[in-house]
Amino acid sequence: MTTIPLVDLLSLSGALFALGLFGVLTRRNFILILISVEVIMNAAILNFVAFSLFSPGPAAGGIPGQSIAVILIGLAATEVAVGLAIVLALNRLRGTLNVAEAIQLKL
Amino acid sequence: MGLWIAVTEASASQLYHDASFVWLGLPDGTNFVMGTLVSPLGALMLVVVNVVGFLVVLYSNEYMAHEEGLPRYYAELMLFLSAMNGLVLADNYLEFILMWELVGLCSYLLIGFFWKKPSAASAAKKAFIVTRVGDVLFFLGVFILFSSLGDLSSATPATAYAGTTCPGGVLHWSCLGFTFTPPNTNSSVPFLPANAAIEASNFGGSSWLPTLAGLLILGGAAGKSAQFPLHTWLPDAMEGPTTVSALIHAATMVAAGIYLLAITDIYFGFTLTAAIVIVGIGGFTSLFAGTMGIVAPDIKRVIAYSTISQLGYMAMAVGAAAVISDLTPTYSLVNGTPVLNTFTGVAMFHLFSHAFFKALLFLTAGAVIHAVGTQDLFQMGGLRKRMPITSITMLVGALALSGIPPFSGFFSKDDLLSLTWQAATLESTQNGSPLLYVFFALALMAVFITALYIFRLWFLAFSGDRSRGEAPAASHGAPAPAAPTSAPFASSTSSSSSSSHAHDAPAAALPLASSTSSSAPSASGAHDGGHAGGHDPSWIMTVPLVVLATLAVAAGFLPLIPGVGHLLPGLSWTVLGKCVTNCGAGSSFDLTDALLGSASLAFAGLGILTAYAFWGNGKVYRLPKDSPLLGVHSVLLHKYYFDELYDGLATHVILGLARGADWVDRYIIDGTIRGIEELFSQASKSGRRLQTGIVSSYAAWVVVGLLAFLVFFLYVVPWLVGGFHLPPTPGL
Repeated sequence: MTTIPLVDLLSLSGALFALGLFGVLTRRNFILILISVEVIMNAAILNFVAFSLFSPGPAAGGIPGQSIAVILIGLAATEVAVGLAIVLALNRLRGTLNVAEAIQLKL
Repeated sequence: MGLWIAVTEASASQLYHDASFVWLGLPDGTNFVMGTLVSPLGALMLVVVNVVGFLVVLYSNEYMAHEEGLPRYYAELMLFLSAMNGLVLADNYLEFILMWELVGLCSYLLIGFFWKKPSAASAAKKAFIVTRVGDVLFFLGVFILFSSLGDLSSATPATAYAGTTCPGGVLHWSCLGFTFTPPNTNSSVPFLPANAAIEASNFGGSSWLPTLAGLLILGGAAGKSAQFPLHTWLPDAMEGPTTVSALIHAATMVAAGIYLLAITDIYFGFTLTAAIVIVGIGGFTSLFAGTMGIVAPDIKRVIAYSTISQLGYMAMAVGAAAVISDLTPTYSLVNGTPVLNTFTGVAMFHLFSHAFFKALLFLTAGAVIHAVGTQDLFQMGGLRKRMPITSITMLVGALALSGIPPFSGFFSKDDLLSLTWQAATLESTQNGSPLLYVFFALALMAVFITALYIFRLWFLAFSGDRSRGEAPAASHGAPAPAAPTSAPFASSTSSSSSSSHAHDAPAAALPLASSTSSSAPSASGAHDGGHAGGHDPSWIMTVPLVVLATLAVAAGFLPLIPGVGHLLPGLSWTVLGKCVTNCGAGSSFDLTDALLGSASLAFAGLGILTAYAFWGNGKVYRLPKDSPLLGVHSVLLHKYYFDELYDGLATHVILGLARGADWVDRYIIDGTIRGIEELFSQASKSGRRLQTGIVSSYAAWVVVGLLAFLVFFLYVVPWLVGGFHLPPTPGL
C-alpha cells in the first residue's frame, strides 16, 4: 500500500482550515458561516487521522487518533444541531440570517 | 479645700503625688498617666483658684440673679473651677493640655454667655481662636519635648524624687519628666556655651531645637495670658459677665499661662535666648497694655488692660528668674539635679497678690456697673458718696495695683522689679548685653502708667459730687454691654446708654449733661428714675468685696507666713532693700534694691498725682482740639490697630493661603485623580469600538490574536531565550 506522506496530509488539512477560516471571516450568512466552521473542524479531524497513521497504535500504548476523530465527528453533529437551532431562532426573531445585522444580544 | 491642701503642704513640706491611673497604655510600654500632683506652685494656685472662685460664686448670687440661663452659667462656672483645679493638679503635660483646653472652652462659653449679643458671640470666638493660635504653638513645643526628652508623663522617672534629688519640698516637673544632664558648672565661660553642647546632646545634636521648644511653649503661655502678640482677645473678653471677668480673665485662667511658664521655668533656665525673649515680651507688654488702659472709656476694659499689663510683669519675672538661673547655674542645680528655679516664686508671689486685688477691682467694677447700668466711665462720677463700701474697696484694689505700701502689690511688684534688675545686671556683666535694662526700663515706666490709669478710673467713677451720665436716652440705642437686664437697678442714668458711644467718640466729644435728676425716661422705660447714681449692693456682693480687699492687703505679707519658704523658695520679703525673711546668704540690706523700690514708689505716686491732676474731683480732662496728642490718643483708643492688623492678616494672608491650598487641592490633587479617571475613561471609550457585535470581526480578532501568539512563541521567545529546540520526534 502506498503511504501518502504526512506532509501532504497536513497540507491538505491546512488548506481546508484556511478555506474554512476564509469562509468564517468573509461570509455574512449565518448558515454559510456554520458550514465554514464545519470545514475548519474537518481539517482538524483530518489532522488527527493523519497523525494516527504515523503513531503507535492502541496495542503499543499510543493515542487512538482515529477514535478521537470519531468523537469529533459526533461533536460536529451536535454543534450543527445547536447552530441550526440558533439559526432558526434568529430567523424567527429578526427575519434575517445576516450576522452583520444581528449585532445586539437584546432585542 | 485648696487652702487646707496648701497649709498641709506648707507645714509638712511633703508632696502628694499619685500617678497610678494609667489613662492610655501603649504596647511599647509608653504609659500616659493621669496623675495628681500637689506641687508647691500648684498649692498656691489652689488657694487662689478656690478662694477667688468661692467669692465670685457668692457674688454671682446677687449680681447674676436677674439673668436668664442661670443653670448654664453656674454649670459652666463649676466646669471651669474643676478644670482649673485639674490644671494645677496635673502632673504631666498631656493632662495639663487637656485641662488647659477645658478652661479655654469654659472661657469661650462664659464670654459668650450673653450669646444673643453679636459682640459677645464674636468676642467669645475671638478669644477661642486667638488662644488657639497659642495652643497650637504650645502643642508643637510639647511635641518637641516629647520626641527629644522622651516622656510626658511622670510614670517612669518618678523615682527621681524619692531620694535627695529634690530637697526642701521642691518637687517639680523637672524632677519628674526632664532628664537634663547637669551643665558643666566649672566652665570658665559662664554656663551657656558648655550648656549649649549638653543641650544639643539631649536634642539630637541640635542647638536651636531647645530654644525653639521654649519659644513655642512661651507662645502657648502668651496666648493664654494675653501677652503681646496675642493680647487682643482679653479686652474683648470683657463682653462676658463681670464675675467671669474677675474669676477667669483676671485671677485664674489667664494666670495659667504664667503658671505654665513657672512650672517649666527649669527648662527656660537652660535656654537663655528663650528666657530673654520672655523678659522682653513681659516687659514690653506691661507698658504696651498699660498705655491702652489710659484712654479706654469702658471701666472693665481698663481693668482688662491692667490685667494684661500685670501678667506682663509676671512673665517678666519668670523670664528674669530663668535668666538668673541660666547665668548662675548653681541656682538651677541641687545635688546635680535641675530643680525649680528658685526665683520663680517671685512671679508666683505677684500672681498671688494680683489675683486678689484684680478680682477685687473687677468685682467692685461689677458693683458699679450693677448700680449705674453702664460701663462708660465718662457717664459715672460722684459715686463715692452713694457707694462708700464699693469705693473704698476699689481704692484698696487700686492702691494695691499701683504698688503703694502696705498693699500687696507693692511687695510683689517690688520683688519682681528687683529680680529683673538683678537679671539685667547679670546679663550685662556676663554677656555685655544691656538689652534687659531696656525691658526693665519699660516695666518701670509701666509702674507710672499703671497708677495713672487705675486712678483715672477711680477718679472718673467715684470722685466729684455728681454723675455725668445723664446722656439723652434717645441718642444711644444699644443695650448696656454687661448688664442688659439690670434695668431695675439702674439709676436715672439710662440703662440703654452704652459704652459703645464712647468707642465711637473720644473723650473730647462727650456730651456734658450734668443734672442728677433724670430727664425724660429712656426708650426702654424700664427704670423708675428714682434714686440717683446707684447705691452699695447688698451683703451678698459686699462680703466678697470686703474679703478680697482684706486679702489684697494681706497677700503682701504672704512670705512672712512660716512654711511658705517651702512653697516658694527664694522668695524673700524685702521692703525697700531691707530683707525681712527668707533672705538667704545675701546681706540683709541692699542699697540697689532700696533705690529701685523708692523709684518705683515714686513713679506710682507720680502716676496717682497725674491722674488726680487730670481727672480728680470729678473733672474730665479733654485734649484740646488742636493737640498733637490727639493722634496718639486715637492710636491708643484703637488699641494700636492690632485688631485691624489681624483682621487684614486674616482677610489677606490667611485667606490667600487658604485659596492657595484650595487651588492645590482642586487642581493638583483632584487633578491627578481626575486625570487617572480620564485615562481609563478614554481608554474604555476607544476600547468600546471594538465591540461591534459583528461575529465575523470577532473571529477576525481571534485569528489576529492567534497569529500574534504564534509569532510570539515561535519567533520572539526563541529569540529571547536564544534558540528553540523541539525534542526529536521518533519515526518522522
